Amino acid sequence: MTEPLDRRADATRLQILRAASRQFAQKSYNLVSLDDILADADVTKGAMYFHFRSQHALAAAIIEYRAEVARAAVDELVAHKLSGLETLIDISFLIAIDDIGDESARAGLNLLESIGRTDGLRTDVVERWVAVFTEITRKAVEEGDIVEEPEHVAKLLVSMYLGLRQTSNPAEPERFLRDLQNAWALLLPGFTKPERMAYVTQFIKRRTAIAMKKARSL
Amino acid sequence: MVRQARSEATRRKIIMSAVELFNEIGYPAAGLGDIIERAEMTKGALYYHFDSKEALATAIIEEGSTNLWNAFQGIAQSPAPTLESIIHGVFVVADLLSTDKVARSGTHLLRAFGEFNDAAAHTYAGWVDEMTACTAQAIAEGDLRPDLDAHAVGETIVAAMLGAELLSNATAAGADVLERVARTWRVLLPAIVSAESLPYFREFLARESLRHSAMPPTSDFVDP
Repeated sequence: MTEPLDRRADATRLQILRAASRQFAQKSYNLVSLDDILADADVTKGAMYFHFRSQHALAAAIIEYRAEVARAAVDELVAHKLSGLETLIDISFLIAIDDIGDESARAGLNLLESIGRTDGLRTDVVERWVAVFTEITRKAVEEGDIVEEPEHVAKLLVSMYLGLRQTSNPAEPERFLRDLQNAWALLLPGFTKPERMAYVTQFIKRRTAIAMKKARSL
Repeated sequence: MVRQARSEATRRKIIMSAVELFNEIGYPAAGLGDIIERAEMTKGALYYHFDSKEALATAIIEEGSTNLWNAFQGIAQSPAPTLESIIHGVFVVADLLSTDKVARSGTHLLRAFGEFNDAAAHTYAGWVDEMTACTAQAIAEGDLRPDLDAHAVGETIVAAMLGAELLSNATAAGADVLERVARTWRVLLPAIVSAESLPYFREFLARESLRHSAMPPTSDFVDP
């Protein structure tokens, strides 16, 4: 029995994406050579070029793939029907846990920093991210937890996470999660209704404790 | 394929018509003739899918409990601390009871058939088992007191929620079920939550009014 051709091609494509994710998760874009990826994926150069016309196209595909996975995970969290602010906090810890222990997440976020500035990919991905956060923040404003302009809060939260990856390090789980908790603690008073602060601070503390237990390093 | 889809559509229509009638006039008063009339079907179409009124009721019970169960599992499987999931999950289930007609009708039928219907018996047992497992987990996480009997607490939670739903139905046609569930939790929490976690869970509970917009805010997070 022979496998249908397109399914075999899909499997090869996935194999290349996985190997490339592994490489980009550990090393920066410029330090990864095409040969490293080919050796890791155990495919020929021809096979790779059949699926991706360049290393850049491969990197872009990883970013897109990760953005889709993250979007699905966010939808699932929203379906839990917690309040808007609680949902935003949960999402940030979910992203952090993936960033710490999932190759495609780490690679996708790493690549977002190194490619896509000129072709608009980065703007596109970050804008989608901000749009989702804005929507959830709007809910938090209606619920009375957040008292600032939703889009500004959303942009601040996305910047916070992307910046945290620079100042801290997802390869050091405990430190990274502690830094995330501290960043939240510093940002919160800027947009949270004062009487809700005590509860939200506790909520973040509890989420940090769970994330510490759950996070598994690459 | 087309035929299968049409057959499924017919089955749906019968179930929805029965649910409407049971909700309007109650199970005993609704005859198969009324259901056929409401669904605009022939007797043959109905008997093709259900061989009796009880078979129809059983299908409604099963579909309704599956919907409620899935809603609770969706919350229980989140990475949140287990006691948060238990409380929030119970509210999501109660919320679903006011929006999902099949679930509501299923719950009423479950109560009517509770003693002699297999679907009913294993539904209750399933909830108690699940709640017992969640309770044990919440004890291990330190949010519930360590000296509690997990099974007794699991049973108490299920019984209290069923009771809240029953009272709400009897006195307010189900309109105030979320408030009743909130009141029940307010009484239950101090009895089972560890001293350290109690202030947090009082606020967590108060915030359920935020999470379900249908529910009027009760107290604005005033610590009692």
